[in-house]
Amino acid sequence: MRIIMKFGGTSVADADRIRHVVSIIKAERARHQVVPVVSALDGVTEMLLDVADAAAKGDELAVETLLTQIRDKHLACAYALGAHDQVRPLIERLETLVHGVLALEELTPRSTDAIVAFGERLSCAMVAHTLGGVAMDGREAGIVTDDHFTEADPLMDLSMFQVREALTPLLDGNKPMVVTGFVAANQHGVTSTLGRGGSDYTATILGAALKADEIWIYSDVDGLMSADPRIVSAACLLSHLTFAEAVEMGKFGAKSMHPRALEPAAAHRVPVRMRSTFKPDHPGTLISESSGPAGPGGAGSVVRSVPMLKNLVMLTIGGASMVGRPGSAAEIFGALATQRVNVHMICQSVSEAGISLVINQNQADKARAALDGALRSRHLERTVELVGGVCVVAAVGAGMKGTPGVAAKIFSAIANAKVNVIAIAQGSSELSISIVVRAEDGPKAVAAIHDAFALSA
Amino acid sequence: MRIVLLGFGTVGQALARMLREQRETLAARLGTPPRLVAVTDSRGSAIDPHGLNEAALLAAKAEGRGLASLPGIGGSASSLRVVLSTPADVVVETTPSNLAMPRPALDHLLGAMRTGKHVVSVNKAPLAVAMPALLEAARHNRIGLAYSGTVGAATPFLHAAGRLAVGDRIVKVRAILNGTTNFILHRMFETDEPFNAALAEAVRLGYAETDPSNDIDGIDTAMKLVIMANHAARSSGRPAGVAYRDVRVGGIRGLAIQRVREAKAAGKAIKLIATIDEAGVRVGPEEVDVTSPLNTPRNVNACTFSMAQAGEVTLVGRGAGGAETATAIVRDIIEVTTGARVS
Repeated sequence: MRIIMKFGGTSVADADRIRHVVSIIKAERARHQVVPVVSALDGVTEMLLDVADAAAKGDELAVETLLTQIRDKHLACAYALGAHDQVRPLIERLETLVHGVLALEELTPRSTDAIVAFGERLSCAMVAHTLGGVAMDGREAGIVTDDHFTEADPLMDLSMFQVREALTPLLDGNKPMVVTGFVAANQHGVTSTLGRGGSDYTATILGAALKADEIWIYSDVDGLMSADPRIVSAACLLSHLTFAEAVEMGKFGAKSMHPRALEPAAAHRVPVRMRSTFKPDHPGTLISESSGPAGPGGAGSVVRSVPMLKNLVMLTIGGASMVGRPGSAAEIFGALATQRVNVHMICQSVSEAGISLVINQNQADKARAALDGALRSRHLERTVELVGGVCVVAAVGAGMKGTPGVAAKIFSAIANAKVNVIAIAQGSSELSISIVVRAEDGPKAVAAIHDAFALSA
Repeated sequence: MRIVLLGFGTVGQALARMLREQRETLAARLGTPPRLVAVTDSRGSAIDPHGLNEAALLAAKAEGRGLASLPGIGGSASSLRVVLSTPADVVVETTPSNLAMPRPALDHLLGAMRTGKHVVSVNKAPLAVAMPALLEAARHNRIGLAYSGTVGAATPFLHAAGRLAVGDRIVKVRAILNGTTNFILHRMFETDEPFNAALAEAVRLGYAETDPSNDIDGIDTAMKLVIMANHAARSSGRPAGVAYRDVRVGGIRGLAIQRVREAKAAGKAIKLIATIDEAGVRVGPEEVDVTSPLNTPRNVNACTFSMAQAGEVTLVGRGAGGAETATAIVRDIIEVTTGARVS
């Protein structure tokens, strides 16, 4: 088989873990053609963003402190692995770049990418050295993006072609390759990064281009669960999910994949397996076009997972002037978009007298100010009401489509748990139903729905 | 209109001649007189931002000298260097197609696009291996990419495919897209000569190269077919999705004269036919009725489009030649620089 293996930051956190990852790669390389993709060492991307930020502000002391931390962290790891000759020149180049930003006190998205990319370059150099292989960055692997630095979009057809051209001859070679996740370049060869979805996105682009049999995403959890095990102790591991279900769940937490990263895999029908570095023999969760065998959380289940999104607020914009007046919604969302407020959920009743939105708590003030400003300038009689301390509980499952009674089952379960429903949203795709409840009621609602659909292992 | 010309063989020289002889007419059509600001051949290049004298270039070639030898303007800069560093409006790629090594030409096209120059290619190989990638690069850089000379030279097979796909659905394409093989097959049919003798005659007349593999093994036809399939898909708004590796490729190498005779006795002729239909994309020798419009003489190409509603449409014309291909290039230059662009 041909396998893309992507290792996240926690999987390559230190020298011991890198040795462990290399042993996994070697074992799989004995049976399969593999292309390993690595993230930066755990926490390093944040440190690099911080040092870039400090340099832009001219904060010399913070810059030197952070650079020392970054240097020490990597050199400690590199000495343990005997990779210091590979790592030291990279650290020196990084320091030169950061000092350049410090001297100018100016940071552009382009220079941010040049700095942040060193996280993956450094980890890749260490993994490749330990494996006895070649380190390649995303540019060398053929991934080309547009010029939206820090959030670059791949030129997908060109990238697919170039990845095939660059990597296919190496697949059967004696020397294994290791590719940096997250890092790419624009068509002029200037370093860019893929933003949301990051290294997972790199893995799925490579998988789609090389027509891999599977893409394995390694992290520190066994796979995707039917619910957060800290809320529902009997939550079961989901052995199979469809791409559509995984996209729906992508929203709800760091352990699932960003929907953007799933796109190339879904478009080219390459299954993605979420698995744990610490249990390399555990099959994990397979995301593919099939819903897999029956069982708790399996194919027979209408609802397969009950994720929860926390730290949210609900904004309700009301006023009789909105009724029957086209463009009301456009005004509201336009105002929020200009302030880059991300809207999680939207509800409006047929009466049109109010629109409710769910957004992150830390964007609440910004959103409220944007709406007040926009509505005041138009002299519109509107009220903006904010309800804090809410969460969204969702029931996700492709089996809900066309199955009558799902909503009834969910709401009677919640009612029995004595949880009050504040708002509801369901898209016509029928892949999920989202419910807004008070934050303190969230876990109760999750447990009740999980129980009602018999998802416990 | 500043033009960079890559490759100075038969086609490149024909283009230079055409630019020299028809400068006034072309200036009227383009809105500005065309001038060659750089020309490259296999040994080097000649560059003059004010415009090169085509007569001097042609004279150097006629004397068997490379462009690098031209005093004051000749140099050793590679084609890629010239593409990236010469300010120009259009880059015309006419270097020989090499399916096994499409990279140099592909780099010329991508390099031109990322430095904001329109591209006209009569080189088939980069399009045959990476058409979706090239179309994406053209869209991304908002520049024109035209390649009508890759298939049928001056005979507008691609334009026809594109236009027909807009208003109706093309259910099947059957075409003769390689003049050399058609010349050989026609000669075998007419004179009853065996394959090798007919091939030797084609080489003698300059229709076939000394290594005729690209033609007689069906490779040239298959490259053209891939370009046509993707072009038609693109014109009808579907994703370009046929790759060279998807084509079942057969040729006519060593075709037995006996097969030609048997076909003839049954009122048929054997032709190297390129087909696109629901069964896939393929190239191979097939029998056609002697009364079929696909039974073309000598090196004449033909293409029959079967439409879902409108029945059959057949286009017949010369498919190669310096002047014919240069005509296609001029047509493409006008198209890309006057706004009829990829995006």
